[in-house]
Amino acid sequence: MRYAEWCIAAPSLEADIAAAAMGLDDIGHSRVLYGSLRELGTPDGPDEGSYSNVPYLDRPWTDWTQFVAANAVLDSAFSIMIEALVNGNVEVLRSRLRKMLQEERYHYLHGRSWMREAKAAAAVDQAWREALEWFGPEGGDVDGFKAEGKLAYPVRDLHRMLQERVGGELPETAIDWSAWDGTRRRTAPGGIDQATLDMLQGLAEKRYMPAGG
Amino acid sequence: MGYTRVHANVREYDVFARKARVEPLRQVGSVVAPDDDLAMAYARATYDEERWVEMMIVPRDAVIRLWGPGESES
Repeated sequence: MRYAEWCIAAPSLEADIAAAAMGLDDIGHSRVLYGSLRELGTPDGPDEGSYSNVPYLDRPWTDWTQFVAANAVLDSAFSIMIEALVNGNVEVLRSRLRKMLQEERYHYLHGRSWMREAKAAAAVDQAWREALEWFGPEGGDVDGFKAEGKLAYPVRDLHRMLQERVGGELPETAIDWSAWDGTRRRTAPGGIDQATLDMLQGLAEKRYMPAGG
Repeated sequence: MGYTRVHANVREYDVFARKARVEPLRQVGSVVAPDDDLAMAYARATYDEERWVEMMIVPRDAVIRLWGPGESES
């Protein structure tokens, strides 16, 4: 969704097209993930007021460096987790999520190249912190799933893999886990802005429907 | 070629693809990017509307032309 907002605002036409394509990929990925959750017996998601998104996605990005940091850091964190599932022992996920990794490779190439160009240090620091929060604390649920074999890598490895992928100097980040919400996987309160929620739920489109339609 | 866009230095890349192994590769378009990473991302984003079995990009400055339209083979 946040990618799509940049599909007419990126610095070049090619980047516009890439933003649209990556947005479409990620919508496809969410559909596959929700389908897999249903198949694995997870009840339908939380109500619309409590989307479990990282805080980075709460508000539209106002600067291209935020796009670049989300693309290079958060999208990579997501891909690494998918990789941990593909190499884990849950058969549904092993088979279904593999194609995502092929598509995510191009998101990574896009993010990596733009990181060289855009001076995105502040945005990267923020995205890095939120990625670590999203992975969760060591010895927490992710490490539990690793012990059961559902995930192929523990939190420590996820951090290392993300650091390798993002490259460069990343800040030492101390996270206050006492403020961490284990369901939403973030410490910051808040959520997606109302205008975006309306779009996600199709309410924005309804305004354009004929009366009584 | 006068492409500056947003990057200080860019290269042009031609994009080649085919839909079946028995087909020859054909040029489907081109992209302009500062490096191979972004050129790959742009080529895939721009030209993946068909079910290609193969896609590749070539920096245009790596292509050696023997002759062009209207020129004699000499």
